Amino acid sequence: MSANGHPLDALGDPTRRQVFELLREGPRSVGELAGQVPVSRPAVSQHLRVLEDAGLVSYRRVGTRHLYELDGAGVAELHAWVDDFWNVALARFKAAAERSNQGGRT
Amino acid sequence: MSKTMIIEAVRKTVTVDCTVEEAFRVFTADAESWWPTDSHSIYDEVREIVFEEHEGGEVYEVSRAGEKGHWATVVAWEPPGRLVLAWNILERDPTATELEVRFLADGGGTRVELEHRGWEALAADAAERRDSYDTGWDHVLGKYATRGASA
Repeated sequence: MSANGHPLDALGDPTRRQVFELLREGPRSVGELAGQVPVSRPAVSQHLRVLEDAGLVSYRRVGTRHLYELDGAGVAELHAWVDDFWNVALARFKAAAERSNQGGRT
Repeated sequence: MSKTMIIEAVRKTVTVDCTVEEAFRVFTADAESWWPTDSHSIYDEVREIVFEEHEGGEVYEVSRAGEKGHWATVVAWEPPGRLVLAWNILERDPTATELEVRFLADGGGTRVELEHRGWEALAADAAERRDSYDTGWDHVLGKYATRGASA
């Protein structure tokens, strides 16, 4: 597993998106999350690790409880990633539009 | 009380050697020709990218197996000059960021101005849940402040 996953890749999986969205409502333990998504507890832990690697969620101990919560730094990372993404996408768009122009309209 | 965070919109400009109409058409109806679906799509193999050409329409990808993956909702459809999408990085509406693209005649070509904004909603959500102000924000906001000052 990548130690530095991209936030959008991490959110590419429907279950992980669901977990991420549940965490939008507040911190949750693995057990609480497992009760709300259609996968096993070990699978939830696995998904949480991917989200954590992508910087989207972080982990905290409150007394004896182990809680996962959204990480603001992850949103910033997402923003930086989107910035890079548009550089690449618009360069490709320019090439495609000019190619299309050269070939004439279909 | 939560702090208000201003995260600068992502802004890009590119000049394309074709008409405004053609630029708008390629951006929307011919998105498969340029969108980097290899690395940026919901499903591994994308067969088609669909822009429903009206306000309230949907933008989605269709996988090779025929599965549909929602990307965005059309907020403004004003061909060939302007397009606004509520871009769902996540599936639920409150997390939608907004993408506005303008196509402007520039000499013989087209200047395309893109703005991807609305990060605050996403960030506020994350920040509200935290007990303490995250150092990640200090770093990032500091970076934007620097960039803003030098621009």
